[in-house]
Amino acid sequence: MLGRLVEWFSAPAQWSGSAGIPTRVLEHLGYTLLAVAIAAVIALPLGAVIGHTRRGGLAVVGVANGLRALPELGVLVLFVLLLGLGLLPPTLALVLLAIPPMLAGAYSGVAGADPGAVDAARGMGMRESQILLQVEVPAAVPLVLGGVRFATLQVVATATIAAYVGLGGLGRYIIDGFSVRDFPQMLGGALIVAVLSIVVELVLQLLGRFVTPGPDRLRLRGRPDRHAAAAPSSVPTPPSPERPDR
Amino acid sequence: MIEFRDVGKRFADGTVGLESLSLTAREGEITVLVGPSGCGKTTSLRTVNRMVEPTSGAVLLAGRDVAQGDPAELRRGIGYVIQQAGLFPHRRVIDNVATVPVLQGLSRREARARAAEVLERVGLDDALAQRWPAQLSGGQQQRVGVARALAGDAPVLLMDEPFSAVDPVVRVELQDELLRLQADLGKTILFVTHDIDEAIRLGDRVAVLRVGGRLAQFAPPDELLAQPVDDFVSGFVGRDRGYRRLGFLPATALRLVDLPTRADANGDTAGPAVPGEWTVLLDGSERPAAWLGPDGARHDLGSVYVTDGDDAAADAAGTLRGALDAALSSPAGRGVAVDGAGRYRGGVDTDDVLALLDRSAPR
Ligand SMILES: Nc1ncnc2c1ncn2[C@@H]1O[C@H](COP(=O)(O)OP(=O)(O)OP(=O)(O)O)[C@@H](O)[C@H]1O
Ligand SMILES: [Mg+2]
Repeated sequence: MLGRLVEWFSAPAQWSGSAGIPTRVLEHLGYTLLAVAIAAVIALPLGAVIGHTRRGGLAVVGVANGLRALPELGVLVLFVLLLGLGLLPPTLALVLLAIPPMLAGAYSGVAGADPGAVDAARGMGMRESQILLQVEVPAAVPLVLGGVRFATLQVVATATIAAYVGLGGLGRYIIDGFSVRDFPQMLGGALIVAVLSIVVELVLQLLGRFVTPGPDRLRLRGRPDRHAAAAPSSVPTPPSPERPDR
Repeated sequence: MIEFRDVGKRFADGTVGLESLSLTAREGEITVLVGPSGCGKTTSLRTVNRMVEPTSGAVLLAGRDVAQGDPAELRRGIGYVIQQAGLFPHRRVIDNVATVPVLQGLSRREARARAAEVLERVGLDDALAQRWPAQLSGGQQQRVGVARALAGDAPVLLMDEPFSAVDPVVRVELQDELLRLQADLGKTILFVTHDIDEAIRLGDRVAVLRVGGRLAQFAPPDELLAQPVDDFVSGFVGRDRGYRRLGFLPATALRLVDLPTRADANGDTAGPAVPGEWTVLLDGSERPAAWLGPDGARHDLGSVYVTDGDDAAADAAGTLRGALDAALSSPAGRGVAVDGAGRYRGGVDTDDVLALLDRSAPR
């Protein structure tokens, strides 16, 4: 079995052409990026605004949990029935998958911003939008990134479903392999998905360290932070019930 | 000037935070609101910058009702310091302080220059400006909080228990710092605390509040200590108020006595200058170093009475409290008086202090 797997990977045809591994990986990443980007545009602002106003937090949790419980394949079939074949149905199914973790990350990140800092910001005359963008969003970045990472990993793992509706991506190997009982091909496809997940996770972790504002940020140039080591990394606090008066 | 006119606040849940508070905080003075927890101090403070909107009455700032106009605009003209400091963790200290100037429309460059100025004012080292808030001690964070409130150059400052989260030693430092700043800046400060000692130290006038924001007494600290209007206030200012009040009574009428002294640059304890008497040992620059007992043994000086108040560190300078402390803590039965520079001036006789006390007793 292992020998046949190695054979599958080492066949020259596997590494070029429209059915080759590089193409499939790029297709797979393309579906992922598209779905994550659409979900981010929807979920991040929505979560941030809800986290700021603290109105509708319960609804968010409910909807997010509801979405999480949906079976992706069932959703895909439903969208195909409604919308026909094409890129749209699998993308929508993946968007629904990516929304909950990002929504939760943005919501809890913004709502968990230090209440003292928010109070001070308002008290010194920041407008609500300035409080959100200048104080709460920077504080939310670690949790937002966590949500984005989690969503992306789920989408990478699930984007194989695109192959069910005749699209490409790494799901092709799994589905095609299954239909002709070519187990090395199936296993090879699954392995590539797993490796891709790990690589994506590592890349996102690294990127995250560059965009996190504050003392923990990684900087390529400029003065090193002499005291950075002494700083406790920020632990997000759960949103506390706010006094309604503001 | 901040004027509360029958200010009432009933919260959405029905809690009455303030019944009807009327009070005037004078221009250029520190007005302290003090009272037990939940009595409405924070609520009244926050009606000034409209972080709380009163449900009745009005707050006037320099004669104008704060309820008119844009709250954000109003707040940019009022410094605000809170207990938790509330620094922005993702901004360096200098940029935290530059926040209000930027909001006021200064360029980032000008705002930073202004921030650097203010940081120096509150006694923060240049090196700290580039740090992150998490890299500061609690006391330093509070200083940054004060600097941030001063950076907008607002004439009015609201301070809500700004020093209560730091340890007592640092708290006293910060209080001294505030008094020093205030001597320069002459802001109109409304200061909330639940610590009566802090209120008495800082306040030009102190308002003691009961639950519901009911004003129990509003008076300068010495009057509060001398004549509490009722049991609530006297209970609040404490049993040792008589002693504390001494800190407000000048000891100008106190006559210093001569003590036997012996100059000694080498710390040599060969024996008393005057046999059988307590003698003050002076160092090379005339500062008292120790007592020499009648038997020639060295004893601690005890606390000294600083005659003039130039030295900000000497809290009780020139007051009866300083004189009494010196007399009572000396092993010789008589205290040592020094000038602002610490040079020997004379002795304080316990009987003289007590006689003065007798004459200044409130009737
Ligand atoms: N947003 C709110 N909703 C309901 N009740 C409130 C609200 N804010 C304050 N209160 C209540 O109003 C009263 C006065 O509160 P306030 O915070 O002004 O007290 P305080 O004197 O500052 O007390 P502390 O010394 O504990 O800070 C309290 O009973 C408090 O529970
Ligand atoms: Mg309070």
